Amino acid sequence: MDAKSRILSRIRHALKERPKALLPEHPHPAFSQDPLELFLKRLAENGAEGHLVDKEGARKLLADLAQGLSGAAYGKGVPDALRLLPELPPEEAPLGVSRALFAVAETGTVALSSEDGRKAQLLPPVHLVLVEEERLYPSLLEAFLDLKSLPSAIGLHSGPSKSADIGQVMVKGVHGPGRLVVAVLQGTW
Amino acid sequence: MQVKAKLYPKEAARLLREHPGVREAVTGATLHFEEGRKRAYQEIDAEAWRERARRVKDHLLTHLDHYLELAEKRLQEKGVRVHWAEGPEEAHRILREIVARHGVKRVVKAKSMLTEELGVNPLLESLGVEVYETDLGEYLIQLLGEPPSHIVGPAIHLALPDIQRLFHQRFGTPVDASPEALAAVARKVLREAFLTADLGISGANFLVAETGTLALMENEGNIRLSTSLPRVHVAFVGIEKLLPRFADLALFLPLTARAATGQRLSTYVSLIQGPAKEGEEGPKEVHVVLVDHGRTTLLHDSEAWEVLRCLRCGACLNACPVYRQTGGHPYGYVYSGPIGAVLDPGLLGLEDTYPLPYASTLCGACYEACPVKIPIPKLLLTWRQRAVERGLAPTWEKGAMQAFSKVMQSPSLYRLFSKALRGLPLPQDLLPLLKAWTEGRGPLRPSPKPFHELWQELKE
Ligand code: SF4
Repeated sequence: MDAKSRILSRIRHALKERPKALLPEHPHPAFSQDPLELFLKRLAENGAEGHLVDKEGARKLLADLAQGLSGAAYGKGVPDALRLLPELPPEEAPLGVSRALFAVAETGTVALSSEDGRKAQLLPPVHLVLVEEERLYPSLLEAFLDLKSLPSAIGLHSGPSKSADIGQVMVKGVHGPGRLVVAVLQGTW
Repeated sequence: MQVKAKLYPKEAARLLREHPGVREAVTGATLHFEEGRKRAYQEIDAEAWRERARRVKDHLLTHLDHYLELAEKRLQEKGVRVHWAEGPEEAHRILREIVARHGVKRVVKAKSMLTEELGVNPLLESLGVEVYETDLGEYLIQLLGEPPSHIVGPAIHLALPDIQRLFHQRFGTPVDASPEALAAVARKVLREAFLTADLGISGANFLVAETGTLALMENEGNIRLSTSLPRVHVAFVGIEKLLPRFADLALFLPLTARAATGQRLSTYVSLIQGPAKEGEEGPKEVHVVLVDHGRTTLLHDSEAWEVLRCLRCGACLNACPVYRQTGGHPYGYVYSGPIGAVLDPGLLGLEDTYPLPYASTLCGACYEACPVKIPIPKLLLTWRQRAVERGLAPTWEKGAMQAFSKVMQSPSLYRLFSKALRGLPLPQDLLPLLKAWTEGRGPLRPSPKPFHELWQELKE
């Protein structure tokens, strides 16, 4: 017998007398708060920055972030109109720009797909994430129940990289970006 | 990992004597975690969340064979290679093959307690592979050659000056370098490792059967990097880590974060479905190793099987007045504190671990903290009872250990006791003294009833 059959047969033996427990249904999401307001609040509480912008505002936000920078790494989904800086490899770029799959208000989270490109999400010290307002879910549960297909990896990012492993002092930007900026895009893109 | 749990009371006393700073560092860190958890629980209907999580896990565990087979099928459909391992021997063989086939020279590792159980690092080192622990705390203790002292904060026993000294010796940083400066040094070394490693190794917080999704939680970004940059990713997953449905993550991710660190969600969550597709960044090969290593034995145990619900959040450690005094090292195994005291005897057998269930005051704080409502105090009594039945805990030793745990929860008594220790009276000599002391004081919160009464009630 191989390890799999041995393990499974021991499990079946162990469970023979055990009453089966029922699987509870998912709860009904009950969120009354304005998700956008909550999202921006949660981002701030998580140590990230959130902005609600239209097309013009997005360009301005990018221009501000781009000041003094030599270039940026871009996710595949970033619209051309927002590629203001020359493209650099993520290993060298001082700024990464990504487009999120969706965002979640209750936890202040942006969900990033491997299809957009993982390195731009992780290697540059500053990460700007674009997400359409209509892709904002009030809760994680609603977002997860609504996901139709799963890319090879999703990263849920809810703030800047941090650690308190050195003497219990909070340090930002330990491995991932030390600064997370989220632009919620109004209208269609 | 070598098991030294039998030495628990002695090792605890020795640590307090020889490394008095540990107590302060661990107490500070755990109280901070514990405050965060309390705040985070107050914000939600914690009882409802915990009860739901308990039920989902109980369902999963009572249908474990079904969900394991489903998970394997879903993983394989996505192109993940699935392996099964009874324990270290098979896990090592699987890993050795992967290392040989890919000519692996350098590994980046994301913190995983299961790989500690399996002794993955010593194996890799014996193969001449360079291993980098990439969680900052885990990296610190790797430099020191120590095992983790806490499930979530592996280096919480170290105070800032310890780390300053370590980095001064290793990297020539100033002895008073700031935490930011120290972190920057570690970041630089580890960034280089991420960019050049051939293999990333991780554990998993969850494996969703319905979709074959590996879920990993962290705050630094090192897990995302370890599972994104190297061309091969191997995840070691305990068979109890499964969840039935993808949407169950909407409960378990935030609940774990709230219990562990008081966050609404950890800063990063990786949800991994498989290797990178054509033209995509990410590992070309993903392996999942499903590991038993004592879990099926626990599942068989009609009382202790409930510990298999454990999410490894560390909340019970943070809540424990006994753990707080020494941190995890004296417990002598990967899992310490209240969960270690009820899990280790199940995984390793009571013969090698019998002192651990006595490392508790039965105050119940661990149960209140536990996100999946594992009845730890009840199970501590179960294991104690079994130890007595098997003649593993001689009366004098039992008394000594109870005395020890009582002493551990009172700072003033501890000071008295540790002074007395230097004079070397045997611990049981202090019992009458302890009794006199406890009778008059409220805050010490000893077990409200004698052991045998409590035991009777719980059995009924
Ligand atoms: S026993 Fe409960 S509180 Fe302790 S680590 Fe496991 S899940 Fe967390």
